[in-house]
Amino acid sequence: MAVSKNPRGSGGAGPSGRSLAPLAPGELTTPIVVPNSVWRPANPLAYQGAGSAQLENTHLREYGETDAGRVDDARWGKLQVIPTNADYVLELIRSNSLWPLLSGLACCAFEMMSAATSKNDMDRWGMFPFRASPRQSDVLIVAGTLTTKMAGPLIRLWEQMPEPKWCVAMGDCTVSGGRYKRSYAVVQGIDRVMPVDVYVPGCPPRPEGLIYGMLQLGQLVKDRRGHWHDRSIGPTVPDKI
Amino acid sequence: MPDRPTAHSDNADPRRFRSSPGSAAEAENANPRYFESADDPRIMLEQDIGSDLYEPIPPFPTRTEREGEFYSLADGQMFLNVGPQHPATHGVLRLVLKLSGEQIVDVDPVIGYLHRGVEKICENCDYYHVIDQVDPLEYLSSLFQEWPAVMAFEKIMDVEVPRRAEYIRVLTGELLRISSHTLYMGFMALDLGGLTPILYSFIERDEISEMLASITGARMLFNYFRIGGVNGDLNHEFMSRLGDWMSRAGKQAEAITGLLNENEIFVRRMRPIGRLDRATALRYGVTGANIRASGVPFDVRRAHPYSIYPELDFNIPTREEGDSLARYLMRVDEIKESIRIIDQCLHQMPDGPIMARLPRLLRPRPGRAWAAVEAPRGMLGVYAISDGSDQPFRFRIHDPSFMNLEVVPALLPGNLLADTMAVVSSLDPVMGGVDR
Repeated sequence: MAVSKNPRGSGGAGPSGRSLAPLAPGELTTPIVVPNSVWRPANPLAYQGAGSAQLENTHLREYGETDAGRVDDARWGKLQVIPTNADYVLELIRSNSLWPLLSGLACCAFEMMSAATSKNDMDRWGMFPFRASPRQSDVLIVAGTLTTKMAGPLIRLWEQMPEPKWCVAMGDCTVSGGRYKRSYAVVQGIDRVMPVDVYVPGCPPRPEGLIYGMLQLGQLVKDRRGHWHDRSIGPTVPDKI
Repeated sequence: MPDRPTAHSDNADPRRFRSSPGSAAEAENANPRYFESADDPRIMLEQDIGSDLYEPIPPFPTRTEREGEFYSLADGQMFLNVGPQHPATHGVLRLVLKLSGEQIVDVDPVIGYLHRGVEKICENCDYYHVIDQVDPLEYLSSLFQEWPAVMAFEKIMDVEVPRRAEYIRVLTGELLRISSHTLYMGFMALDLGGLTPILYSFIERDEISEMLASITGARMLFNYFRIGGVNGDLNHEFMSRLGDWMSRAGKQAEAITGLLNENEIFVRRMRPIGRLDRATALRYGVTGANIRASGVPFDVRRAHPYSIYPELDFNIPTREEGDSLARYLMRVDEIKESIRIIDQCLHQMPDGPIMARLPRLLRPRPGRAWAAVEAPRGMLGVYAISDGSDQPFRFRIHDPSFMNLEVVPALLPGNLLADTMAVVSSLDPVMGGVDR
């Protein structure tokens, strides 16, 4: 696309018609006008029948001459303040930006990573940045078998996460003990030691399953908007676990 | 551990909601160890939440000479705790590092965070259920965990496997080996701070997972091999996906390895660290690609041939350097060999049954059998003892990840702290197999 010289520009300044010398205060510079040589409207009467001559008049010129566009009155009218509950808006933002903690325990961790990488891209729903620190994350995805030895560290991670926080139990082992129902070393469902918001069953669940669970969590956050103060913190961690 | 009020005691668990928010001062006076949460005044928090839980020095007197030596600090030394939750420990491995400045002096790996008691569960299952129970151990390549189990049982019961089933086992196994090695390359770069290769690795891994899901029904934990055969025959979806994938597999492997092999930072970083010499590797019982990178051409497929591997034409690549880069390049070579094996399997695949005829309830004669296969991480063996009942009397799993992880305390001292994860991840441990 060629840049045409503006016929209204101060002559001899440069190829774009703009002087390279610094502007004096208060002086208005002429806009760079790029003619539309890429497309033509199918209907010649569209855009007020704009031909090439009229298309060269950009909104910049109009903007400089009038006050149009200075105030965003198209959406809110003259109202500059939106009266609402702060939580109501914040939770809407939170539900669309759930940052999980990068903590995998066993097999399910790889399906969790698969959900985050190229093919099933969780980033599309704002769930991507797997934070390595519990201080920066909103959601604890417990992916994999929780053994009694790992229960203490996991609860410590949960307690280090700032409120508001949510927990997703991914996989049969974390939901109920699953195939380790008879094992002496496995916590039979993580809801015995921490509160759970969404259960994603499967051994392991497909990445799509995890994404669906996270979308349900987003909906749950929206449903509880303004009410998270009433949310139970869940069962207390048993002593000396 | 300070005595905390138990959950059932009557005098109010402090983290439970109090009914009247006005009594915060009273509660503080009652027990000064609890304070009001800044988030919610109705919540009382403990002042030292588990602060003594992760002191690296254990609270009990030292039990062995080695423990006493490790937990006594010389001048200028310090402990650093890594894990069990760490983005680069490949699961739940905990390393207690003893540092002098930035240099590692000693290391104490703590394992057992994923111990699920699978061997004991297997001894209380009947023979068919064992195959399902061992799946989550080598969760990156779970067919290789099923394989020695069914091989050991077939030896005990003297079952002959149909040739088509053997070909299908080799075909699916080599596919999984490629998947596992590709992931290894991605995680290796991730642990060094490069995010891009893992995205390419997961494209291949997801494709192979979906391919295997079309014949096994699952993406990760397949439960596919059976005593005397496999569960399902190859179907149209699998073959069409495999054909598409094979036509671009070599090119894709080149593309992924090109991201790292031609990266000078990666090569120079990996070259001098984690050098494992031949004698040490043999002494510690390291197997798989790790020992072949140290110059020992030991491969179970060649040393103790099983299945149809004697009929196939493939090389055992070895390298002499034994450092982290050699272990990485070893995997690159093995991917190429695996593609060759898959190609031969597809051309030589015979027709016929995929299962031997067996009774519903297996009750083999008393006996014992050892079977081992070459898993992506090394020699994966199973030692099964039958006492004549319908459950194995003993089911011992010899896992390569455990043997490979043992060598970490020998490799790390002398390296810098930043190289810890580069060395550990180059050994490719899977904690599910280590802890069992």
